[in-house]
Amino acid sequence: MAANALSYSLAHISTCSCSKKLSPSIFSSPPLISLTPRRAPLPSSSLDALVVRFPSPLSRRFRHFTASAASDNSVEGEAEVEDAEEESEIPAEGADVVAEEKPPRKPRIKLGDIMGILNKRAIEASEKQRPVPDLRTGDIVEIKLEVPENKRRLSVYKGIIISKQNAGIHTTIRIRRIIAGIGVEIVFPIYSPNIKEIRVVKHRKVRRARLYYLRDKLPRFSTFK
Amino acid sequence: MAACFASKWSMAVSRSLLGNLSSNNLGSLGKPQDLTSLGYNGLFFQQQLRTFIQMRTKLKVVDNSGAKWVRCIQALKGRKGARLGDTIIASVQEAQPRGKVKKGEVVYGVVVRAAMPRGRCDGSEVKFDDNAVVLVNKQGEPIGTRVFGPVPHELRKKKHLKILTLAEHIA
Repeated sequence: MAANALSYSLAHISTCSCSKKLSPSIFSSPPLISLTPRRAPLPSSSLDALVVRFPSPLSRRFRHFTASAASDNSVEGEAEVEDAEEESEIPAEGADVVAEEKPPRKPRIKLGDIMGILNKRAIEASEKQRPVPDLRTGDIVEIKLEVPENKRRLSVYKGIIISKQNAGIHTTIRIRRIIAGIGVEIVFPIYSPNIKEIRVVKHRKVRRARLYYLRDKLPRFSTFK
Repeated sequence: MAACFASKWSMAVSRSLLGNLSSNNLGSLGKPQDLTSLGYNGLFFQQQLRTFIQMRTKLKVVDNSGAKWVRCIQALKGRKGARLGDTIIASVQEAQPRGKVKKGEVVYGVVVRAAMPRGRCDGSEVKFDDNAVVLVNKQGEPIGTRVFGPVPHELRKKKHLKILTLAEHIA
């Protein structure tokens, strides 16, 4: 791919040079530099490499301009490299001096991270109370729920997870089951303290993240004993 | 049954509409100001948006009072309509020949199953696949003696304990 671009650019450059009467040395140098397999291109050759790879929209005048700029850049680039080296030495010394005086800085909490941190804390607190197993769409689970209205015993909900919505502490799963002939879908927040137990009974192979197609299918696909 | 077939057909139609719209977004609409309507349509048709039980909603009757299905004529309590656990006034559209109610009678009913999800205080939501009602009298006591299918917990709070005791399964 590079070779093709190179050949095209060489042909283009040769036509340019014929019309513009410029010294061939300037035009011959850039393609050779761009052939080097080095990872980090020299600052002088990077612009040339770009020019070589995308030759089509450039006019001859622009090409001439870039060639002259490349020749200037080569001189400037070297000067810049020297300056950079000098500058890097000075701040390194300064950093050592500064580091000795102060203790290491605590990472600053940014405003956008606050909700994520709070959610993580809430999830950790809930996990300590009751660990939540890894749930995925297509798992057939059994959930034991304590309902304040139904004070007698734990209600048991069994069904297939048809969707999981991740929202930090309010991560919910949607369970579908055919109860007494009627399809029922219940959304449970898995980190709720009312849920006393979640147990994965089986797993059904599904190729989707949301199994809403089960609503249209026969009831026997949503029936779980 | 006819109702659920009709809903499936309409869902298929709406899905195909959505498919057509998404394939050529601006080609068919042209003006950029219609993008908002396209966005709204997408929201509308991706998941069937279930709403309240209002006037002219057909509901299945799930007790043995004799009626087969009723049509809601008024939702008591609720400006937009009735939800799970609310009472409605309905008109019997079809009834079994020898039953406690006859066709054309105006009766009260308690909604025991609704396709619209109802949120519970712990953050969970429950929704059923159909809309169903249990006929009651003015005092709230069920006319029939049996209730078929699952009923939700919400009836306990609404003080429809008789229906809960008759129910086959409490969801």
